[in-house]
Amino acid sequence: MNQKIPKHPRILAIALTTVGVGFAIFEGREVLVNWGVKTIEGDKNSMSVLRIKDLIAQYQPNLVVLEETSAYGTKRSSRTQALTKKIVALVKRDKIQVRLFSATEIRKAFFPEGEGTKQEIAEIIAKRFPEELAHRLPPKRRAWQREDTRMGIFDAVALALMITFKPFPARSKSGKRIQEAKL
Amino acid sequence: MISPQSKNYLQSNRKRLALFQDEVAFLMGKRGGAKISRYERFELEPGLRTALAFEVIYKRSVSELFDGLYHEVEKEIAKRAKILNHRKDRKPRETAARKRETLNALATA
Repeated sequence: MNQKIPKHPRILAIALTTVGVGFAIFEGREVLVNWGVKTIEGDKNSMSVLRIKDLIAQYQPNLVVLEETSAYGTKRSSRTQALTKKIVALVKRDKIQVRLFSATEIRKAFFPEGEGTKQEIAEIIAKRFPEELAHRLPPKRRAWQREDTRMGIFDAVALALMITFKPFPARSKSGKRIQEAKL
Repeated sequence: MISPQSKNYLQSNRKRLALFQDEVAFLMGKRGGAKISRYERFELEPGLRTALAFEVIYKRSVSELFDGLYHEVEKEIAKRAKILNHRKDRKPRETAARKRETLNALATA
């Protein structure tokens, strides 16, 4: 786990969602090569593993990034936790490096001085990759709505950015949120 | 920028423009998106006409779209340029010098 990450790695970031798998592939830390959500029906865990195997075979990443789903206080289902373990085992078997980040770590990286929402993280990411992702940014979720499927893409990109991290001064010294994050 | 290039960047460019594979196929005058999928997954190399069609649709040069493939070809030519550079030449001195210049540039690409 503590191996050195190559200078220009190919990163596969995977965000597990209720509908399937969100993914993002980066080359050389800056270039977003592919992204999307693979919607899965039926046996979600085994189908997800198959989809991830396909992505690994196609892109041959040096590094896979996932959300730490078993961290203390994490509210993820037992299905997602089991799937994370499966993926980690699969990736390690292929001798690919793995990094896990908890949702709290991601939020802290984007908003070091305070709390921010997933929507705000997605907006920052859309600004950073306007050509690729701006048109995929979901509208703000209402309390009675379920999370938009597209959010899986932004979750995955946020995970990948944890590797490159030159984050996002999202708040000023006074604690007021800065609209235009320096990206 | 040095990076581990993919053979092509067709998929990212299609997604950037919010196009479906079927729509790209239609623009190219092909029947379905299956072939586009095979190009994107590096299973099939397109011919010149198709490559140019990708350039027209995605507004990116062919060498940019097929960056990994471009570098593969570049390396192969560099290798052959070195071999050619070591061969004896019967051409007049000036022509030979110009040719050597060309081959040196190719070999170091």
